[in-house]
Amino acid sequence: MRGRKTTIIGVLLAFVLLIAGCGDDEAETTTTVAPETTTTAAETTTTAAEETTTTTMLIVREDADLVIWADDTRTPIFEAFAQQYAADNGITVAVQEIPAIEEIDDRVGERAPLGEGPDIFISANDVLGGLVADGLVEPLDLTSVADDFAQGAIDAFTFGGLAYALPYATESVALIRNTDLVPEAPATFEELEEIALGLVASGEAEIPLAVQAGSGAPYHYFPLYSAFGGYVFGTNADGSFNFADIGFASEAGLAAADAFAAWGASGLLDWDITYDIMLEKFGDGSAPFAITGPWALPSFEGVNFVVEPIPPVQGGEARPFIGVQGIMVSAFSEAKLFATDFILSFLATEEAQQAFFDADPRGPSHLAVLARVQETDPNLGGFAASAANGVPIPSVAEMGAVWTPWQDAYQIIVTGAGDAREAFQNAAEQIVTAIAAG
Amino acid sequence: MRSRPSFTTGFVVKLLFLAGVNAIAVWSLPTMIEQSWVPGIVAVTLMTLLIDYVYLRKRTIPLKYLVPGTIFALIFQVVPVIYTGYISFTNYSTGNRLTKDQAIENAERKFSNVPGSQRYELVILGQGDGSGELALYLVDEAGRPFLGTAEGGLQELAPTDIVTDDGGKVASVDGYVALSIRQLGDRQGELASLEVQTEEGAIRAVTLSKAAVYTRIYSYDEASNTLRNNETGEVYTVEEGRFVDAQGVALSDVPGWQVYVGFGNYTKVLTSQAIRGPFLRVFVWNYAFALLSVLSTFALGLGLAVALNHQTMKGRRIYRSLLIIPYALPSFMSALIFRGLLNQDFGVINQILGFNVNWLNDPWLAKASVLLLNLWLGFPYMFLISLGALQAIPNELKEAALMDGATARQAFRRVTFPLLMVTVAPLLISSFAFNFNNFNTIFLLNSGGPPIQGAATPAGHTDILISFTFRLAFEGGRGADYGLASAIAIMIFIMVATISALSFRRTRVLEELS
Repeated sequence: MRGRKTTIIGVLLAFVLLIAGCGDDEAETTTTVAPETTTTAAETTTTAAEETTTTTMLIVREDADLVIWADDTRTPIFEAFAQQYAADNGITVAVQEIPAIEEIDDRVGERAPLGEGPDIFISANDVLGGLVADGLVEPLDLTSVADDFAQGAIDAFTFGGLAYALPYATESVALIRNTDLVPEAPATFEELEEIALGLVASGEAEIPLAVQAGSGAPYHYFPLYSAFGGYVFGTNADGSFNFADIGFASEAGLAAADAFAAWGASGLLDWDITYDIMLEKFGDGSAPFAITGPWALPSFEGVNFVVEPIPPVQGGEARPFIGVQGIMVSAFSEAKLFATDFILSFLATEEAQQAFFDADPRGPSHLAVLARVQETDPNLGGFAASAANGVPIPSVAEMGAVWTPWQDAYQIIVTGAGDAREAFQNAAEQIVTAIAAG
Repeated sequence: MRSRPSFTTGFVVKLLFLAGVNAIAVWSLPTMIEQSWVPGIVAVTLMTLLIDYVYLRKRTIPLKYLVPGTIFALIFQVVPVIYTGYISFTNYSTGNRLTKDQAIENAERKFSNVPGSQRYELVILGQGDGSGELALYLVDEAGRPFLGTAEGGLQELAPTDIVTDDGGKVASVDGYVALSIRQLGDRQGELASLEVQTEEGAIRAVTLSKAAVYTRIYSYDEASNTLRNNETGEVYTVEEGRFVDAQGVALSDVPGWQVYVGFGNYTKVLTSQAIRGPFLRVFVWNYAFALLSVLSTFALGLGLAVALNHQTMKGRRIYRSLLIIPYALPSFMSALIFRGLLNQDFGVINQILGFNVNWLNDPWLAKASVLLLNLWLGFPYMFLISLGALQAIPNELKEAALMDGATARQAFRRVTFPLLMVTVAPLLISSFAFNFNNFNTIFLLNSGGPPIQGAATPAGHTDILISFTFRLAFEGGRGADYGLASAIAIMIFIMVATISALSFRRTRVLEELS
């Protein structure tokens, strides 16, 4: 009996060692494979549901001196420069692909405090306030390269006087005009409205203006709102935001509310237009105008169009929100010097910034690249012209309290479900309450 | 006593299973030990030993069945509930994720570049063979070489102090040698805190080859537990895990930390006007939604089951298979498809029927749409369980009733249905509990919309408690508030548990029938 027990324990031990031994190798391969398989899953949810509630997946930091987290589009670019940097310095660099760019900050928030996060990651300016408040991102002194970059892009990544990211892309919405339906650019938004509604009335177009509503409304409607002088947060004397002064309840905001109600009633704005419908209707030529960003252009290949700034609304300049994407250093990185060195000496160059543009054509933040693009690509030139008088999306964490009330108010106004002014005033109250409850 | 042959197939399978369990333990323990997570180490060790003991012994037969289920229940049910309970007593939220030490360390790492100050070319040095005290070899914009150390400050070097290698790079300076890239990699943490004090400010390494002059923005004073802004002189005190100014406004560029807040989150739910405003309305609809979902799906499922259980019906198998389709499709896809179908201007339903019904933006129609979707998603389940239960009821009972002169309807109402309920009632209760928290249907179809006008806090006409909580905790205030969300989740848990417990008690009456 004793002999048998020893055999069992021996066999068990052998198995344990065997499986535990294999375990390490398997873990290695899964880290590289896993992101790819989940990409498709995450992408379907992203396109399907506008707001993503994606399943949390476990991402483990790869074993290297310098680890970079980027999305699928930018992983190859980082890969190329990272290999060069690794070879120059004799260190190891790993680039890990994280499914969606808008989720990278969440993943960093989960993994970085456990020491499983990256040294470098990419994110956007609208979540910067949250990243700073969570202590996830390290200040990045851009003084040495600031002259090469658009000031607006650097400002968008500046929080409390310090810069936190190297920008590589600036984007905003612009007016896209179907040149077959509307050969001449309208000089004012009122003219645009007349032309668009006329085309629908005569049956030449199906919808007057393709602009997505729903959760995308606050962002895409912003130029029409800002034209009235509308803002999100008022500013104090020292330049900081005044969270008690919400722009919706201001004189300008209420004037905008009336205009939105009129546009909803005339059918110019339609709450039923989703992102997919917007793409479809402008893409098949049944809408004379669209308000959207450069990411939608691949769907418009079948029609002749131009990209231009949105014309003035009731005499006021239509200023879109600008969103900036950038490269950040994790506050939990143990290789901050390598990370900063790599960013400032390898990624701030014209060559790297051009590569970022080539991989995903969005407005470059690097001035030399921007100048070249404006000459050669009229579409992106149009977006750049629109972004030139844009307003950065406020990067403060308090912005989280704004989107839902704002969207709800637009829904009430555009669908005509209630009084427009009351809807905006109520939204302002909801925001003040939410921020105060913090 | 002869023991059985040692290596039967069953024994090998068992051995492999146990080896797998042990391997997982062996694989996970080093990580836990590294992070000194004591509860994890204890739990994994105990569970693994328990499993080994139970399965290697012959006598522990009942335990062999109980242990896996108990362990899974612990891991997937009890631990999350306890953890949620724990979080609900903290201020864990955006801006309050770190520990206090981490937050202070982060605040003290904020440096601002002194405008117009010198920028230096840099070589990083170490004393002796490079492992000793760190030093910076700096060349200013005028080309003058300096040696900077933490203690000695900045000292101008004579050209004779500098030894260059064949490539013209600085190799050593006055007893210090240039660090290799490996040494640099290992000592980055020290380098980050190395400051060479000068009159302009502190010289710090920016990259591997550049240095610049900075001033530290915030300094923490442990004695008074305050944070001071060195530029403005303003002093910030601690309040609920954040640094706040004299007006009580929290610093936005300095992280906060997690603290225990007692019943703070619970009192917030119960007393905040913003939350209480739409709460009752949401609760009533939540109850109605769950109840109507159960009733409608059960009615349709049972009706179809009765029809398809009828002996004279032809093609029953085909119908039965077809009816499972909605159940076989992923529910989140169905929800998104319905969202498209019900679109007022562009949806297929209105286009085909020639209607202009505002399915999703009208408060009542939106409620109807949600129930319609849930009916589509839920009836196959009810159909399946009803069919199974019906087939388990002996046909003789029904025949006897019919013989006694009952009509078919009476036989169903008085005989079949009560017997059916014995089996089905507990499943109806669990279906109620499930639908009470059916976030997917609500959120994916219409995100809880349309919005309630004039609500004190954003809420929609089809919002149920869990989707309302989601808005409150993740789309309100300054980002995500996990503490508040957990408090509401615990309250919903108590509500659902109470309702379920009461209902289960009532179903015991039914059981006495059989």
